[in-house]
Formats: sequence, C-alpha cells, structure tokens
Amino acid sequence: MPQFILSRRTLMTASAALLASTALPSIARAQASGGRLVVAADSEPPNLNPAIVASNGVFFVASKVVEPLAEAAYDGKDGLAPRLAVSWEGAADGLSATFKLREGVKWHDGKPFTSADVAFSALQVWKPLQNLGRTIFKDLVAVDTPDELTAVFKFGKPTPFQLIRNALPVVTSVVPKHIYETGKIEDNPANIAPIGTGPFKFAEHKAGQYYRLTKNEDYWGENQPLLDEIIYQVLPDRAAAASALEAEEIHLAAFSAVPLADLDRISKVPGLQVVTKGYEGLTYQLVVEINHRRKELADLKVRQAIAHAIDKDFVVKTVFLGYAAAATGPVPKNDPQFYTPDVETYPFDVAKANALLDEAGYAKGADGKRFTLKLLPAPYFNETKQFGDYLRQALAAIGIDAQLVNNDSAAHQKAVYTEHAFDLAVGPPVFRGDPAISTTILVQSGIPDGVPFSNQGGYKNEELDAIIEKASETLDASARTELYKEFQKKVAADLPLINVAEWSFISVARDSVKNIANNPRWAVSNWADTAVEV
Amino acid sequence: MSLRRFTRTPEAVAGVVVLALLAIMALAAPFLFPGDPQSIAGPALVRPFQDWAFPLGTDRLGRDVLAELFHGARTSLAVGLAAAAASLAIGTIVGTLAGFAGGIVDEILMRITDAFQTVPGFLLALAFVSVVGPSLGVVVIAIALSAWTGPARVARAEVLSIRERDYVASARVAGMHPLAIAFREVMPNALPPVLALSSVMVAGAILTEAALSFLGLGDPNRVTWGGMIAEGRAVLRTAPFLSIAPGVMLVFTVLGVYLAGEGIVENSAVKRGLA
Repeated sequence: MPQFILSRRTLMTASAALLASTALPSIARAQASGGRLVVAADSEPPNLNPAIVASNGVFFVASKVVEPLAEAAYDGKDGLAPRLAVSWEGAADGLSATFKLREGVKWHDGKPFTSADVAFSALQVWKPLQNLGRTIFKDLVAVDTPDELTAVFKFGKPTPFQLIRNALPVVTSVVPKHIYETGKIEDNPANIAPIGTGPFKFAEHKAGQYYRLTKNEDYWGENQPLLDEIIYQVLPDRAAAASALEAEEIHLAAFSAVPLADLDRISKVPGLQVVTKGYEGLTYQLVVEINHRRKELADLKVRQAIAHAIDKDFVVKTVFLGYAAAATGPVPKNDPQFYTPDVETYPFDVAKANALLDEAGYAKGADGKRFTLKLLPAPYFNETKQFGDYLRQALAAIGIDAQLVNNDSAAHQKAVYTEHAFDLAVGPPVFRGDPAISTTILVQSGIPDGVPFSNQGGYKNEELDAIIEKASETLDASARTELYKEFQKKVAADLPLINVAEWSFISVARDSVKNIANNPRWAVSNWADTAVEV
Repeated sequence: MSLRRFTRTPEAVAGVVVLALLAIMALAAPFLFPGDPQSIAGPALVRPFQDWAFPLGTDRLGRDVLAELFHGARTSLAVGLAAAAASLAIGTIVGTLAGFAGGIVDEILMRITDAFQTVPGFLLALAFVSVVGPSLGVVVIAIALSAWTGPARVARAEVLSIRERDYVASARVAGMHPLAIAFREVMPNALPPVLALSSVMVAGAILTEAALSFLGLGDPNRVTWGGMIAEGRAVLRTAPFLSIAPGVMLVFTVLGVYLAGEGIVENSAVKRGLA
C-alpha cells in the first residue's frame, strides 16, 4: 500500500502555492491584464491551418496563433493595420507588389521569421492549396526576397493591388517554411497543432472538450498579449452557450452562438453585454438563388415579381429580429469602398408582383396558382430555414406554389451546386471586402458544376461577364470601384439572384472582457490586446 | 352488453373521448381554419391568451399556433393510422404466409423479419427518409418498414395453431387452393390478437412521425407537431408555449390512442371469455 509522506518540502511548496493563488488576483487587478479568457466554440475544424482553410471556423482559433501580413482596422490606411508586414505597395503596372516585413519577429519555436517564410507560404500554400488564395493569387508566378525583410510578389498578368490589399487579412496567414518544407503540406502535423508568430501559442486540443492557447512571451507587440491563456470550450448546442454565459462558466460567445431570440432576454442579465460590432468584415448575405434553366424563372418579369413579393423589412424584423439590414444589391451597405445605393430597387408590392406575372403570361389557375416551384432553403443557419418558410408564404400570395425541400448540408450542396435540382434556393454567401473574392462568382457564367457558392443557376449575361472580366484587369483603384458599381447596377436590374438582407454575427460577453470588437474582423483577429478584468 | 362493459372502464372512456376530440379537430381544421395554416397571420411571437384572434399566440413568423395545432392533428392522425394500417397489413400477410406455408418459406420470411428486428426501428426510418427525401408518403412507408415485424410474429404464431384445426383440414380435403385457405379461412381467425397490437402501433407511429419531424425529416410543406416542437426549441427560453402546446397535444393523442385501444382489447378478451 503506497504511503502518503508529507515532507516538510511538499508542505512548504503547497503553502507557497496557496499563498500565491490568493495573491495573484490582486496583481491582475492592478495591471488590468493577465488572466484566462474562456470562450464558447461551436465547432472543431479538422484542419486548423488558416493558410490552407481560410474560413471563420478555423480563424476563430488559429488567428491567435498564425498571423496574416495585415489585419482589418476601423481606421488606418486602406482600412488595414500592419501585422507581419509593416508596409505594402503595388507597382503601377500591376505586375508586382512589395511588402516590407516586421523586424525581430520569432516563430513559436524560436526561429526567426523572414521573407523566405512569406515566399514559401505564398507559392506553396496560398496559391495552390488555399480555398480563396487559388483565385486571388492565380497569376502569382514568383516571390522575390532581396533581403530578409522584403518580399516582392511577381504576377504573370496585371493584378489589381486593390484586390490583394482587400484580401490581405483573409488570405495571407504566414506559416513557417522550416516546419512545412519537408513532407506533404496537407499532412503536416502543424495543421492540427499550428505554429505561428501570433500572440498565443497552441497548447492542446482535447476533442469534444476544449482548445487551449497560452501566452507567447516573445511576441513582437509591446506588452502584448495581455491574456495568459485562452480556452475554447466546445459547446455545440446553441442553447448551452447562453446558459454557460449566465452561469459565468464562459466569458464570451462569439459568432452568434447565443440564438437571436435569446438576445433580448440576455441583454438584461447584469454583467453581460450584447455586442453587434466587430464583424463588419464578415458580412453574410441572404440571397434567393434562381435556377434560370426553368423557363418561368428565365423571364425577367417573373424574377421582378418575386423581388416585389418579398417584404425585406418583415424579414429583417421577424426572421433576424432586427439584427440585419435590408439589401439592395450584391454588395452590402456596410462596405466602405464599393457599395452604391444607386440601383434598381424592388419595394414590397404584392399587387405589382401579381400584375407583372399576369403580364408575363402566367395567369392564375382555378385554384389560384400560377405554377409550382421547388424551394431549397440552405440548412446552415436557423435564419435561412426560417426565411425559406417565409418565402413560401410570400410566393403563395402571388400565386406561386413553392414546395419546400429540406436537406442536410451535404445533400443541399449536392442538390443545388452539382445537380441543379432546384428552382429557387436560399443561400448565405459571404461578402469578403472585395467583390472579386467571393461575390462576382455568384453571377459569372462558365463556372464548372459542383463549385459551392457560385453561379450554378445557368445564368449567362455577356455584359455582366465583360464587366467582371474588365474589373479583374483594371489596376486603377477608382476605375475598378466604378466598374463594380456598374456591376451592382446590372445585377440589381437583371436579378440573376435576389439579395434580400445582409447580416453579421453577434457576440455576447461578460462585462469583465475588455477591448472587444475593436476591429472589423475582431472575432477572427489575434486578440493581443484583449483582457479579462478579475 | 359489451358496450355497457366498455363504458364501465373509465380509462377506456377517457381514451375514446380524447380520440373523438382529436378526430373532430382533424376533421374540422379546414373549416375552422381555412387556407394554409402556415400562412403568416399576424405579428410574431404573440403570447397565448393575449389576443383572441390568436388564442394560443403566434410563432416566430407570426403563424397562428391554434390553426397549426388543428392542422397538425390531421397530419399526426393520418400518418399514425396509415402507418399502423400499412404495418399491420404487411405483418399479417407475411406472418400468415410464413405460418401457413411452413418449411423453407417460413424459414426465409422469419429470417427476414429477424433481420428487420435487429435494426432499431427508428434508425431504419431515419435512414430511409434521409435517403429518399422527406414527404408524407415516404414517412408512412418508413414507419411501416420499421414496425411490421411485431404483427408478423404474432400472426405467424396464431396461424401455426389455427392451421391444425379441423375446418382447415376439411377445406384442404374440399380441394381449396392453399392460398385461398390461408387468406380466407386462416387469416380472418388469426386477426384478433394482431389487431390488439393496433393501438400500440398507432401510438408508436405518431411518436415516430413526431420524432422524424423534430429532426427535420418530416414533410416541410405540412404542419406537424414534431416540426412545431423543433421550431419552438430555438426560442425555448423566451416563448416556451411554442414547444409546450404541440407537446401536450402529442401526449394526449398517444395516451388517448393507448387507453382506447386497451379498453377495446380488454373488452374483446372478456367477450371471448379469456379474462
């Protein structure tokens, strides 16, 4: 039987630890720093490498570990704040872009960060492997490294620097060359336990339980990070996040982990705050996707009628409980560079919608129905499903009988984007700060079958294709912006799809969490200045 | 005489009353609430007993909860009865064939029954609906697929004893076709114990339908109680009545079906002098 020996030494260490634990909070209070932040995570991405998978689910955890060249900012030149790059400049001919890198940055394993890492990430990871980088860096041919702190991107075709700049926060997570250069990049263990330059080091992941990140003592930011530790508590059930916040088990639930319907109640709970800022760079769009192969829907009048039949204010107020804005076109209103309100609008008008359908030659039958459509609401969000229910009713009011078809995520993607087995679909595409990143693809023709969140409705408009093509080669930022304004007008006039609303996420945080929502991609930024008051 | 005996068992009477009310609800739904029950009738999330235009309030999109409950009764009862009838029919036919034919036919049919019984019924229904795609007919078939094995076993056991009776032997001697003997002479007499299962089967089918709808595998173009509960779940903390109302309906329906069924079984058992 093992004996429990209480030596004088263990007693002393134990009492010292006890003393320290009582002393710690007061130190923390004095500095308004330190401490552990516990946040809710609703998913556990299998690959945590943001250089390969540039998605919000990955960034939420990995952006604290692996940093991009620049991060989005509310103020600052071009709406950016420097991270691993301190300055950036595009050449006038659009064939190169020069990045000056930050001095004295170290990887978490102690090796220095240099331009070779940037060159490696760009050519070996972003361009060939990354979901978004494949499009944005498609013409990248080389990255010159004249010295350790300069990286010059060379393009085979003129590439608008405005696009590269707008994409910097999302597509330029830099990974260490010395870790990734041996073996297959996709199978590298650092994809599961990332190594970066960020303010936090990846400590561990217990599947189904939590991720733990710890402070990077050698971080380049002065006196940063403020937190000692971040814990991502895995709470897949949405109702659980609200209760966990109320029970003070977690400090923060980002990405609308608390359902919209609970926000009103939870905003009244003392000690909790509902924050709608900090997601401006991640705007979701509620879109009715249209299959133009269907002869009724190929008729512009029918599409206009559907647009007039949708009460956008009702959708914003009832489906989104006010946490959204009515959309006018394919670029969201909160975009500072490209948005134009000067487009065709379709006010809610059932009589006009009915008149348009009569004009188009689809008279109401004896049962009050004109024709039947198959409607597939995307299952990703509660709101897209609810909007599907609403749209069915809105269409019934103008004599269109919409039959709902519910699918799980995989079946929905297959039905809409591969098999085109839909007439109308409800989708939530994301606007990522530049229409060329993930917006023009929604209406452009010639996209192969099976590409998710792209034009799979068989829509083809040569004029629109020409504008998209021209904008992709236009180097002058203001001329390019004008082209995208033209693009918005054309889309709103011809309705290849119908933009209904745009929304973003909501955070709920305890009052003790400081410096939250201080940039437009806050939830997926590095949290170096976030603190928890004890 | 038997009716008097029936009315003397209070739980059976309660069951029948509940069932009658439900049937009235289901039949009256299109007259009391004409039009699409899923249409948006008023402001969203009106609480119950506040606005008498919507006695039970409205859901997140402003649909009338009472209208949805009435129309949901139609779906639940229709699916429950259809699925139970289908599984009883399949089960009885399979059981009669197996029991009457015996030998290799019996062996094959009963092993198939075993195979179906080893897969949890709900899982089977779930898989079937998610592969074929949710619609009312598919849901009925899915439930029948998972529930026909019980009646099949009971029918077979009963047929095994009946086929040795004298009148079956005399039918054979008279030169009746074996299938005619099986389905004209034997099956009708094997039915009572199988029908005794019906109340449990209807109740089970209603619950399975609700569970499928709750998981989003019901017919999305119809109101179902399970679907209502699932939709109410998102606002459980702020508007619990949206889940409670259809939940209570489900409880009453299943209870009613079960009590009424038990009453009938007991009654017929007494009549046959077994109790």
